[in-house]
Amino acid sequence: MINRRQLLVSGAALGALGVLPVRSAFAADRIDVFTSSDSNVSDWIANSVKPAFEAANPDLTINIVITRGAGGGGLAAIADRAFAAFQQKADPQVDFFEGFNELNPKGAIEAGLWTKFDESNLPSYGKVNKLGIETAYGLPYRGSQVLLAYDSTKVKEAPTTWEALTAWIKANPGQFIYNRPDKGGSGQNFVKRAIHEANGRDPSLFTVANFSKESADKMLPGAWKILSDLAPSLYDNGAYTAGNTPTLQLLANGAVSMVPAWSDQALQGLAQGVLPPTIKLVQLQDLALCGGFTHVTIPTNAAHQAGALKFAEFLLSEAVQTSVLKDLGGFPGVDWSNLPADLRTQYADVIPASIPTFPSGDWETAMVDGWYRNVAPNVNRG
Amino acid sequence: MTSLSAPLGRQKRARRFPVGLLLVAAPVILVVALVIYPILSSLSTTLNVDVAGAGRFSLANYARFFSDDQSLRNLRFTAWFTTTTVALLFLVCLPLALYLRFSFGRLPAFVQAIATFPLFVPGIIVAYALIRFIGPNGTLQSLLDAAGLHGYRTPYLTTWGPVIGLLWEGIPLTLLVLVSGLSQVPQAAIDAARDVGAGPLRILVFIILPLIRNSIIVALSLEFLRIFGAFTQPYLLGPASPESMGVYMQRTFGDLQDPVQAATQAMITFLCCSVAGVIYVRTIIANRRAGR
Repeated sequence: MINRRQLLVSGAALGALGVLPVRSAFAADRIDVFTSSDSNVSDWIANSVKPAFEAANPDLTINIVITRGAGGGGLAAIADRAFAAFQQKADPQVDFFEGFNELNPKGAIEAGLWTKFDESNLPSYGKVNKLGIETAYGLPYRGSQVLLAYDSTKVKEAPTTWEALTAWIKANPGQFIYNRPDKGGSGQNFVKRAIHEANGRDPSLFTVANFSKESADKMLPGAWKILSDLAPSLYDNGAYTAGNTPTLQLLANGAVSMVPAWSDQALQGLAQGVLPPTIKLVQLQDLALCGGFTHVTIPTNAAHQAGALKFAEFLLSEAVQTSVLKDLGGFPGVDWSNLPADLRTQYADVIPASIPTFPSGDWETAMVDGWYRNVAPNVNRG
Repeated sequence: MTSLSAPLGRQKRARRFPVGLLLVAAPVILVVALVIYPILSSLSTTLNVDVAGAGRFSLANYARFFSDDQSLRNLRFTAWFTTTTVALLFLVCLPLALYLRFSFGRLPAFVQAIATFPLFVPGIIVAYALIRFIGPNGTLQSLLDAAGLHGYRTPYLTTWGPVIGLLWEGIPLTLLVLVSGLSQVPQAAIDAARDVGAGPLRILVFIILPLIRNSIIVALSLEFLRIFGAFTQPYLLGPASPESMGVYMQRTFGDLQDPVQAATQAMITFLCCSVAGVIYVRTIIANRRAGR
């Protein structure tokens, strides 16, 4: 009879034999896709995009790594690691970033960390919606826009201009809330809309390249005045939730009757019954609330750069783009003209004529810092 | 948990074999590599200012922290909710621990099981559950309304939000340490005091509290350390401003992309926590000496 030690040793050896060949066979064509998007998106990638891609490309597999975490999510740390590996000429152990801003980490584009997209490496690049392209290093493949979600049993006439919205908030104290601008896009884009309002409703005044401290000091305080002025009329005299979900939670349980919300999250919430059917959506008509496109970045030093580009190309295919619209409640990343005509008619109401944007990078940093310094502390809770 | 407050001196002193040194080498190396080295590296980062490409010693980063209203407000808030929560923990857990020590049967066992339950619930679950319970139109408000009590104002998103969350999370550890301390109070001492006519309050103040002083210090300093660096509860239950140091550091590092200032905040947080750390270590050492 073998003793325990022999059993353990032989067991371990057998196990190692079994594991080794499998792992190396996988590693050869396994594309590591990192995402920190909300679970509606990561579920969609795992359950519909991944199987479709793998069926179309039997030699490639997708390994989805979810790095959802606090604030900017875990992707920033993964990108830092990829950048460090780039400088050390090592394997970054990541092939594909879903939902990452290519302007980070600082200096990465200049150093050559991110793959530059064009039609030579991405045949469908020409179809991409020009509204979504900030630089050629980030590929916008899906978008969504913030709109107002309201309880139609309590709000009879929903506001459709900024002026009407602020008037409504003041006339109904405690019935509106938005989240902190660094903790979720719905509150963030509400703050951005206030910045646009304070600057003649002209989003083109803000670009990635034109940031300077002087212009920030000149252009942002107007928005702080608008938002501070609203604070006493917000829920609990100026409370701000810590994310998109807590905001919707307050709307769903009737604590407030209007909030800014992501189109995709609200539509999905309604479809799944998480939000009561009495919740309705409306967009401002004078200037829409900002939207954003989710960018894909691919490190140039990725072990499977070619496979990652193949996956990116797949995301731009008609099937996936239609699914973004139908299953995710988002906007396609390709120009609407590339979608089937019947879909365009069906979604005519939600096709935005324009999606105002606000540049990420320095402007966003200045916005978050300014909001925390000027708006958040301005609370008087007697 | 018992080893924290048990008189260790009763154990036989081990002979100093090199094997013993080898055994402690692994944790010591880990502590040096994962704690001491990062502290020193942060310290040197925050104390150096880049002047024309060369690093020079400077307190500028700290001066910036202490001249910034927002940073000071956040530090004060963190100190406030930490001391408040620790004080509340003591007030809640001491009676509970006394009850568990001096009563027998099924009910106390049940109470102890309930009280240690939070130990097994992750912080983020606690936060979302509390939002539903104490939040607006939540369970608590519905119960109060049903009882005819209106005008409930939820602590969610106010400075009391994190206090409630952290209190709930902190009960098990504090309770376990206090109960283990109380279990070492000799019944004979209490009986003797009772025989000479001491009432319950006198026994508590003059017999029990002095005997479990070390357990109290250990429990409260451990809780202080945990709460000062808290992240999840202040993040989800607290107000947008002021922020806890943990949340503030993360935002400075992640959103404002200012690692040096984030490291400065971390060093200041570390200094505040090391006060509690020193008290904890001194208590442990005093325990050992007393037991020798």
